[in-house]
Amino acid sequence: MAVHRVARTEDIPENTHLIVEVDNRSIGVYNVKGQYYAIHNRCPHQGAELCKGTRCGTTLDSEVYQFIYGRDQEIVRCPWHGWEFDIKTGRSLFNEKIRTRSYPVLVEDGFIGIVLAH
Amino acid sequence: MTEAQEKLTIIDCDVHPQLRSGADLLPYLDEPWRSQAARAGLPGAGLPYASPIGNKRKDADPPSGLPVGSDPAYMLEHYVLPFQVEYALLCSDSIIGVSGFADADYAAAVCKAYNDYQIAEWLPRSDRFKGYLCVATQDPYQAAAEIDRVGPHPDIVGVSVTGGSRMPYGQRFFHPIYEACQRHGLPLVIHPGAEGGGIFNPPTAAGYVSNYLQWHTCLPQTFMAHLVSFVCEGVFEKYPGFRVVLCEGGVAWLPPLLWRLDKNFKALRASTPWLKRMPSEYVRDHCFLTTQPIEEPDQPRHLDAMFEMFDAENMLLFSSDYPHWDFDDPTRILTRLSPEKKRKVFRDNARQLFGLV
Repeated sequence: MAVHRVARTEDIPENTHLIVEVDNRSIGVYNVKGQYYAIHNRCPHQGAELCKGTRCGTTLDSEVYQFIYGRDQEIVRCPWHGWEFDIKTGRSLFNEKIRTRSYPVLVEDGFIGIVLAH
Repeated sequence: MTEAQEKLTIIDCDVHPQLRSGADLLPYLDEPWRSQAARAGLPGAGLPYASPIGNKRKDADPPSGLPVGSDPAYMLEHYVLPFQVEYALLCSDSIIGVSGFADADYAAAVCKAYNDYQIAEWLPRSDRFKGYLCVATQDPYQAAAEIDRVGPHPDIVGVSVTGGSRMPYGQRFFHPIYEACQRHGLPLVIHPGAEGGGIFNPPTAAGYVSNYLQWHTCLPQTFMAHLVSFVCEGVFEKYPGFRVVLCEGGVAWLPPLLWRLDKNFKALRASTPWLKRMPSEYVRDHCFLTTQPIEEPDQPRHLDAMFEMFDAENMLLFSSDYPHWDFDDPTRILTRLSPEKKRKVFRDNARQLFGLV
């Protein structure tokens, strides 16, 4: 296991993200309401660079004909086909088994570190 | 008797009784419609297509001289008994276009008359006859009231409407009908017959095709739109006990449609946040298709392959369409199914769905 420091906390203000290269992997590092999350910059569908997609919220579970908007800034939509992924877990919203890899993040001494298993 | 020797009894989910003439309904029609119809006949919404070869078999004329399909005794003798039909589920043909008429109250009155006529003059004629009640879709509240009135009859097993419509069937306008169907445990049976007629939309998305050949071929278009609408509007979430039978609209189009719907849902699910599962799963659990007119590809194995692409053995219901021109003989179609699958498709699925045990 290794912690790769990829940015200073002030480099990724709230509700922004950064795409970084670590160990030949492209990873999106997101600040969601002050918490940092890292996901593989690759859509499991056709391999698009997922983290170039729009960041958004979505409609939550509801009754028929009811629309409840929520999870603002917690979702990234693939730039190609619009699949939604939960930034916090990497899981797609239509099937939790369809996911992009999610990496643990450690914040220490003002640095954001991504934890990779080796 | 071995399984191979056992002659399968069947349930036929689409058999068409015919009126001898519109006058058959007069005794059952409420006023003021009865007096009007007695003077001027039963108005209909009309159909822009007619089969150039007629829509009835040419070998099914009752010896009584009555019109094809209008003699219950001969229907039993000619078809039901010799083909081991355990139950023939009667689906109105004579008033199939009633929902295309602009006058909602007249249409509801005709359905009420038809339902009482069927209960009085067909269903008592044999234990093997069960029927679908008819409702007019112009006014879903009157339709629901009719389901409440007639639905509890022990020989009524479903609610029939035609595929022709002014809007896709999943939309909220129609929900009172589905609520009533669920209340009485009656599946909705959608049968073609008046697409493009009366006040309905054109029979294809491209407009009015020129003849019956094209019209009949394109009927699945309408069924596809209704099916996608039912799922996406959340009808099966709202009414979990509600079931739909797509009758006589073809079968082989289903798997590719569901592939497309599921694929789109992956990107566009936020449009329908009330759906808790993949769209195809709702279809699997709530929808059935009757077999006739079964597709007949040049290579019969291609149809076998289509059946592998969806849960055919649990979703298909045998139908013959007797006495129409495109009748399927139960002993001559689906011969490649295993005995177990045959029992389900020809009988057991319908037994379970319509409570015929």
